[in-house]
Amino acid sequence: MRTKSPHIGILFFLAIGVLPFAAAFVYALLYSFGAVGVLNTSYTTAFWAAVFRSGEFFKSLGYSAAIAAVSVAVSVGLALWLVLSYRRDFEKKALSFVLYLPLAIPGVVAAFFTFQLLAQSGFFARITYALGGIDKARQFPDLVNDPWAVGILLTFISLVTPFFVLLFMNVYKNERLGELKTLAVSLGATPRQVRWRVSIPILLTKTRTLIVLYFIFILGAYEVPLILGQQSPQMLSVLIIREMRQFDLAKIPEGYAVAVLYTFIVSGAAVLLFYRKKKTADAF
Amino acid sequence: MFLEVKQIRKSFGQEQVVTDLTFSLERHKTLSILGQSGCGKTTMLKMLGGLVTPDGGDIRLDGASISHKKPEQRNIIYLYQEDLLFPHLNVFENIAFGLRLKKHPAKEVRQKVETMVESLELQGQQSKMPHQLSGGQRQRVSFGRAIINNPALLLLDEPFGSLDAGTRQRMQQLFKKIAGAFSITSLFVTHDLKEAILMGDEIAFMKSGVLKVYKSKQAFIEDPETGVQSEIGFWKDLK
Repeated sequence: MRTKSPHIGILFFLAIGVLPFAAAFVYALLYSFGAVGVLNTSYTTAFWAAVFRSGEFFKSLGYSAAIAAVSVAVSVGLALWLVLSYRRDFEKKALSFVLYLPLAIPGVVAAFFTFQLLAQSGFFARITYALGGIDKARQFPDLVNDPWAVGILLTFISLVTPFFVLLFMNVYKNERLGELKTLAVSLGATPRQVRWRVSIPILLTKTRTLIVLYFIFILGAYEVPLILGQQSPQMLSVLIIREMRQFDLAKIPEGYAVAVLYTFIVSGAAVLLFYRKKKTADAF
Repeated sequence: MFLEVKQIRKSFGQEQVVTDLTFSLERHKTLSILGQSGCGKTTMLKMLGGLVTPDGGDIRLDGASISHKKPEQRNIIYLYQEDLLFPHLNVFENIAFGLRLKKHPAKEVRQKVETMVESLELQGQQSKMPHQLSGGQRQRVSFGRAIINNPALLLLDEPFGSLDAGTRQRMQQLFKKIAGAFSITSLFVTHDLKEAILMGDEIAFMKSGVLKVYKSKQAFIEDPETGVQSEIGFWKDLK
């Protein structure tokens, strides 16, 4: 019985976790090459050629990667600063609640809040108007659906930072960072050297896989850029859904081609990440 | 005297942890301090290292008061009870840590670390990460990392407490050898009677925050309070 149970587990995982995803991927691949689909008649690379020719995918990929990179970098930096400066305060019950609360807020709700706060007809614009800072709504800076993705970035940062604060606090405790800092001081390190040579490298080394996974997660985010993003370029998931829901049915295979391309890139990054992690673990 | 400690005291709230601590130590000597858990040994060492601020008294090193100096300016290294290594650095970089802080030239760092690795019998382990090492190896790296900085005073807080008997014995021998080779001045805190006698040039006993330094090892052995006599009695009765 004991030898059978791991196989059952693997089969269950394949049936529930892998098979539907693989089937959907194959379907998308066939659709993108014209092999299946309402208007498709025969195999063609025309849809892929159209995707590469338009350049919208790469623009969208670059835009998404930039947003994900800035969001993760700012969140990680902010969380590091908070943990290294106010760790003891965060251990108190009231503040720990403040940390957990944003984790329970869905992305779509957070995006809606941001919209209500930062839009030209939003809360801050109204306060600024009431205080005499602006005469018309459009004088308020464009912070949502804007070209610099300020609204998207602020939403992601406010959602992701608490997660990294909790993560770093956990690593701080597990890695006995407090004692390592005292040890470094005893070995002659100044407070600045302790921060840059001990605290930050340990926290980042121990969490780098999760940091990369969060980057991938934001890269594929949908609700937040849908509500707060601009028309062009759009983040990847928004672009894919837009392509698939076009009135022009002939354009749908292009949406699938973009989805397949995106899946290849993200899967490749994930495989590389875990391969490297396993290689490092094996070396140890 | 190289190290002079005068009437150091420390309380945490109502509890007096260290009471009028006064003793001295010659250069290149090791003072063993025996005491049970919770008697104030660790607090005493941390005060000497500048990691805990005493309520009063004075600490003088090589004739100069260091009581108001920051820990990083004292050139006193406190070694933890456990073999605490930096988890993000390999053996080489752990040992080189103090030298890198002081921005020694890379060539000098390499040369010094390689000499230290040899002294610690850790050849071929330089690129390993801390979790790839055994307890004894980790403790040796910990020693090397402290000694390579040529500290004026080394404070060892039950350094072999977590090791098995065999490894502990080997580490005791290795420490004696290294302390001699690098002319180390140290305070060696332990709760093991035999270790206290073996490791120290001088010996002291700490109880309830009060330190008593013995004039000779014989005086230490003869004092019934240290527990040596009851230990001898136990082994005799066993025969």
